[in-house]
Amino acid sequence: MSVRADSGRGASAGGRSALRRVAPWLIGAVVLGLIAWRMLYLHSVNQNFNGAFFAGAAVRSLQLGSLYALIALGYTMVYGIIRLINFAHGEVFMVGAFAAFFLFSGTPYAWPVALVVAAVVAYGFLHFLGFFRVLGRPIVLGAALLAFVAVAVALASVRFGWLGAMVGSMFVTGVLGMTIDRVAYKPLRGAPRNSMLITAIAVSFFLQNFGILAFTNRQTPFRPPSFFTGGLTFQVGGETVFATWMIVLVPAVTLLLVAVLTTLVTRTRLGRAMRATSQDAETARMMGVDVDRVIASTFLLGSMLAAAAAVMWGMSFGSINQPAIFGILPGIKAFAAAVIGGIGSLPGAVIGGLLLGFLENFLTALFPRVGDFTGITEYKDTFAFLAMILILLLRPSGIVGEDLSEKV
Amino acid sequence: MPGTPDYGPRGVMLRRLLNVAAVVALVIVLFFVQSSGSVKLGQVFALFAIWAIATVSLNLINGVTGILSLGHHGFMLIGGYVTGLLMLPESARANLSFSARNSLSDFAIGLSVERWMNALGLDFLAAPETIGVRFVIAALLGGLLAAVFGLVVGFPSLRLRGDYLAVVTFAFGEVIRLLASTPLMASYTNGALGFAGVPSQFGKSVWWTFGALAITVFVFARLKKGSYGRALQGIREDEIAAEAMGVNIAYHKVLAFIISAFFAGVAGGLWVSWVGTARLDLFLFTLTFYFLVAISVGGTGSITGALIGTVLVVWVRQYGDPLEQAYPLSTWLVAAGVVLVAAGALGWLYRRNRRLRPVANPFVIGAAVVGVLAALLAWSGLLETQLASRWQGFGMRAIALSVLLVVIMIFKPAGIMGRREFQWTWLLRDRKDVPTEEERRQDAWLHRGGDAAAGGAEE
Repeated sequence: MSVRADSGRGASAGGRSALRRVAPWLIGAVVLGLIAWRMLYLHSVNQNFNGAFFAGAAVRSLQLGSLYALIALGYTMVYGIIRLINFAHGEVFMVGAFAAFFLFSGTPYAWPVALVVAAVVAYGFLHFLGFFRVLGRPIVLGAALLAFVAVAVALASVRFGWLGAMVGSMFVTGVLGMTIDRVAYKPLRGAPRNSMLITAIAVSFFLQNFGILAFTNRQTPFRPPSFFTGGLTFQVGGETVFATWMIVLVPAVTLLLVAVLTTLVTRTRLGRAMRATSQDAETARMMGVDVDRVIASTFLLGSMLAAAAAVMWGMSFGSINQPAIFGILPGIKAFAAAVIGGIGSLPGAVIGGLLLGFLENFLTALFPRVGDFTGITEYKDTFAFLAMILILLLRPSGIVGEDLSEKV
Repeated sequence: MPGTPDYGPRGVMLRRLLNVAAVVALVIVLFFVQSSGSVKLGQVFALFAIWAIATVSLNLINGVTGILSLGHHGFMLIGGYVTGLLMLPESARANLSFSARNSLSDFAIGLSVERWMNALGLDFLAAPETIGVRFVIAALLGGLLAAVFGLVVGFPSLRLRGDYLAVVTFAFGEVIRLLASTPLMASYTNGALGFAGVPSQFGKSVWWTFGALAITVFVFARLKKGSYGRALQGIREDEIAAEAMGVNIAYHKVLAFIISAFFAGVAGGLWVSWVGTARLDLFLFTLTFYFLVAISVGGTGSITGALIGTVLVVWVRQYGDPLEQAYPLSTWLVAAGVVLVAAGALGWLYRRNRRLRPVANPFVIGAAVVGVLAALLAWSGLLETQLASRWQGFGMRAIALSVLLVVIMIFKPAGIMGRREFQWTWLLRDRKDVPTEEERRQDAWLHRGGDAAAGGAEE
């Protein structure tokens, strides 16, 4: 399967290069001006729309956008490497949330179930570590597995804090991501792209209903004991903004994880192999890169980020929806974010996520309920879809990043 | 498609006779279902016909043209809401307009085929006896509006392809559903509440639904066999080559979306009538997923396959509730063990047929061992107290269908039927193209060394 670069666009761009260089800045300035004008107008209509109102909306946008960015990274990494829209990523996010929930609130399962889950997770991680040939010998693997299970069983009676739950659920979803790849996608390497997309949809349905089967079928409160869910107030222009410490935690954790991921992708052997695979899997294979391991690692990393996002999502909103629908909207919106930013590009996913967060929260703040106008809050779920459709039709390469769409 | 078999003059007569006989047989079966079968059986048959219309129409895009479209539930929603609103009886309209939670506008409440007929002076078409005619009008209007949206959704197919296009169709389907619940459209859809009281004698009648299905199958079979269908199949196989051969790609793709959306709209109207209410949760993405399962299992691009797949999906949906009852955990454990052992056995058979070595790979051994252990654990009574509690298997049907879809996509991506259609020659071995012994030997010589790619209509 060859993906060609769009040469037609580059050739015609030569004459307009000066305009092309200025255009993004121009568009940005115009948009900012419009926003400022709209804010001033709203303030003149109603004194309630003051600096604090917009500051609150902005920090909430940043918080939501960071979460989208974390999920979008999983989409964009997988798409960059195997050109697959991993429809099941939203459900991986859902499983991450529930795994964390059970880790900090105690599981309702009997210990044999916990044992099996711990063993599966441990096996999956040792499998991953085996990629680096540090655990080559079966006897080492076996001993490590036994030790891990013993620790897991010992921990089963302990209730974790939010950080422990987050790390634990990152391990769970990491293994889940690798398993999905192994079971549903790996047998289809080289098949038409639509076949893999259909299995991705099937896996996503499987996980939704598995969640109903194994976790719960109703909305679940998600309140781990944490300092960060406590209130935080600050002053903007003499008015108080009410928020929680999550507005600090979420961007900070996102920044940390993105930094770690970037280092991993740019500085390590694995990262180099990932970049090589995403450019040309065939050649990378010939150069000695184990492409299947690289893909499995990609799924592992993306799914771990999804779990981190899921835990912070639950803490931000205080509850998680029932498994069949919890993952769908965040998942598809994060995919939209990845597309907006430019799918296949890591900075693009972060930019797209933040942009979508602002689109959803700040735009609704810019068009609130004033007088006869009922506001646009009810429409905010459609923004992601509409933005994605527009971006795909007008500029399939997204804001940054190259065009990876199939060409004729 | 390897050409239609040559029946000869006697064969054509025979085929026509067989077609008539099959239709008569179907009518007799439907008659018995209607008269002596249970109410549920009739409803299952009707549901099969409704979903089959949607599946066959989706297959025109997904199977014949090779575009993965995931927005079919959106088209069905449009057709369903239009049909439902136009067919609401006066009593339901009065209830709605007095209800405090109603958000339908007066204009929307006035949208009624019956009132239009009265206004046009066609009183005989507003009488209770001619409600069938009004339903046909309403369903056609629903289909037409859906077709307009099909046109809108079809346009991105000119710029995008593959998975990007799939995502755009999905996004369109979701946007239609999300917009229907917003204040913008609530004056027509009544928001999340929807409206009840849609006449259900059409959607639940096997005659109406199978009549619509017969028309659909006829239209799509003609489409597929004609030059239009061949152009679409050309697009699926190789778009550049098709364009070079003079196929107008844009026209054909957009028309495929329009036709498909029209029939999806009609199916949506029947579906709303089958349920009796127009609600948003009738038109979730799950619906498209079911059709996708039906197409993939039955055979992408085959109408016969789509029908077979729909039988399976409707059967699982309507008769699969034993899977979701509460049973003791030991029963579940035994069931899981049986499933695992069966999976191991199937894997073993598969690997043996494909001459893969080792035949018993880790998956086969693991599945068999774990399955046997689970069954033994349940039987031995070691954990009797832990396993006595009952557990309800919510969502088992969807899990079964999604596992089936993954397995089909991995091991038999073309589905049961591939692209073949049902032909009478399967039953009657009067083909003239049966190879002679000499030809057989020549074929064997030509294909020595194994030819896995030989598919098509030959057996």
